[in-house]
Amino acid sequence: MSGDLDLARMRRERHGKVANALEAQGFAAAVLLGQQNIAYALGARAPAADAARAAHRRMVAIVTADGAPAQLYTSFPDGVPAELGAEHVHPALPVEWPEGARQLLDVLPAGPVALDEYTMPLHAALDGREIADATPILSTCKIVKTSDELECIRRAQFINERAMLDIDGRVVPGVRGTELSGVFLRRIFELGATANTVDPIWQVMPSRIDDGPYSVTGDVVFPTPTTRRPFDAGDVIWVDTGIDYEGYASDFGCTFVVGGPEARHHDQAARWREVVDRCLDVLKPGASAGDLVRAASSDGSRRPWLPHLYLAHGIGTNSAEMPLVGTDLGADFDDALVLAPGMVLVFEPVVWDDGHSGFRAEEIVAVTDDGYERLSARDGGPRG
Amino acid sequence: MAEGLARALDEMARRDVDVLVLGREANARFVSEATRLWLAGARPFAPGCVVVRETGAVHLLSVTDFGVPPDIPPERLYPMSWNPAAMMGEVAAIPGVANASRIAVDGLTPLFEQLIAATLPHAELADGEVVMRAARAVKSATEIAHIRAAIAVAQEAMGAAVEALRPGVRERDLKGVFEERMCALGTTTPAFEGAFCVVDVDAPIRRLVSDRAATDGDLVAMSAGVLFEGWEASLGRTWPCGRPTADHQRRSRWDDQWAQVADRCRAGAPVGDVRAGAPGVAVHGVGQGYEGLADDMVLAPDMVVLLELEAAGILGADMMLIGETGPQVLTTYPYPSAA
Repeated sequence: MSGDLDLARMRRERHGKVANALEAQGFAAAVLLGQQNIAYALGARAPAADAARAAHRRMVAIVTADGAPAQLYTSFPDGVPAELGAEHVHPALPVEWPEGARQLLDVLPAGPVALDEYTMPLHAALDGREIADATPILSTCKIVKTSDELECIRRAQFINERAMLDIDGRVVPGVRGTELSGVFLRRIFELGATANTVDPIWQVMPSRIDDGPYSVTGDVVFPTPTTRRPFDAGDVIWVDTGIDYEGYASDFGCTFVVGGPEARHHDQAARWREVVDRCLDVLKPGASAGDLVRAASSDGSRRPWLPHLYLAHGIGTNSAEMPLVGTDLGADFDDALVLAPGMVLVFEPVVWDDGHSGFRAEEIVAVTDDGYERLSARDGGPRG
Repeated sequence: MAEGLARALDEMARRDVDVLVLGREANARFVSEATRLWLAGARPFAPGCVVVRETGAVHLLSVTDFGVPPDIPPERLYPMSWNPAAMMGEVAAIPGVANASRIAVDGLTPLFEQLIAATLPHAELADGEVVMRAARAVKSATEIAHIRAAIAVAQEAMGAAVEALRPGVRERDLKGVFEERMCALGTTTPAFEGAFCVVDVDAPIRRLVSDRAATDGDLVAMSAGVLFEGWEASLGRTWPCGRPTADHQRRSRWDDQWAQVADRCRAGAPVGDVRAGAPGVAVHGVGQGYEGLADDMVLAPDMVVLLELEAAGILGADMMLIGETGPQVLTTYPYPSAA
């Protein structure tokens, strides 16, 4: 974790992007209730929490197109970035209630406003006012990362990978996923994670899709929540974890075989490697998401990823964000999505042999001027 | 029928709501009793769960029946889509939705507002959070038993953090100890990532842990909670590191204020009166996670609240069961004895 990182520069550059995007699209301001959007536009933090608490204790921010410092409403003074002056930091606005929604109305700038999400009292208070959706504006800003953002993702991923080293050797018959989560969570905090973002997944995979659980899509079911069921020898475990470092997400996936992998597990991993390598071979600026989809599918077998998810997704202040590759948005969407330097892709194909389970892992790369660079370690095949 | 669903349907009837479209996970869990993957933080509104009053049916966004109770059959599951219009189409196709005249949602985005208007042009929109808040506020005996089970986990995890507190331990290490014990006790989801923060004299207590190490004589404010089977238990304590010092005498001032505020947590008391009891008071409902309470809401028997007081450099919080005659403190983890 020795790369150059300047958090103040990162915040300045992101805020500049958002202000410019608002100006270019004719908005006076963006009103942000989404915590990941506030993390992006301001760099402000609130403690990670369950969804209901996060909603009730949410920060609210107003970013104006003139590039002036944003206004932040928060209950968490120790999460306010140092450069935001006291005149820009205010007590939280309780927008879960009509009174708080009216308070927000009082400080809303004149002119066209974009907003990312409503509470219902806020929706009522803004009745009659023309409100655009801020999400596409933020998404456009977020898709290309600065060097500091890439370094944050690299550090998040490094912590995640290091913590997973403590799991190696513990995936043995009789252990429970809940215990592994405990070891993992303790380790990420010790290593400097800002937060955990997803309940760590240690899913015992069936041999055949028909063995269950029931699948709405008819394809492999993943992910499911962790249970207290002890692992048995021979269980294939798909792991998915994600942490936060300075507002940026990691995404780590791998496959364990309880009691150790056999030849067929290595064979599945080798085929997974071929899928990723075929994608990386075509990955450069100007390539489209469609090119990646075709490269991944070029050996003629089933599309090697989960149909309700994606072949690859972006990552940043959101754990899955644009560019989305191979989703149900379809081929035209993929062909229109052209990759550019600074975009980040988390590849997560799946190799499945019905009757013999499958292999899944994840690798993160960033598009560079002439190809790509890795932000994660290269997956080393089945563990256990 | 699940107990929560019955109460939600009653509230829908009372408020003339035909269809409830829920994006908030705790609301969805309350009506469905389904366990879906836990993610930290709030997500923008998306239709994750639909309740139709006419049929009494719960429909759930899920690609599998894993974690879904058997009274929600597979045909009431609908898959996720990256295309919001397709998701709205799935919702509109649910029996009873297309002819609904009043639809309550617990959140909204400008995009989903447009999609709902385009897909269901004759439906009037109402506030679904109001419906769910009313259904969830007063707890049944079964629910209180769930909360007590969660409290046992939260208190033991807090105990592990208190045991780990010694000079040289970093704030982030204490958070790790709490979560590791929580997982060992069978739940991997915190109610929130806890504060384990060294207290600086006369400064507000921080809520985000840092690399700072506790030193001999420090006070460390600890506030943390778990979700056990979806039910929350949280508590707060401020514990000395190493030898108690004269500074810890400040605790006695906290005690006096706490006694005054706790006494206000009685059936019939407006929540605003509790909050006005002292500066630094926070109070909210607790059930399947955090439940908001407005100042003008009135405490009623069998509500469960978390009362928190930050005063005199001390943070303390306990869960209270509101009773006819006074509050019962549910969290029994000890406070440090005064120096």
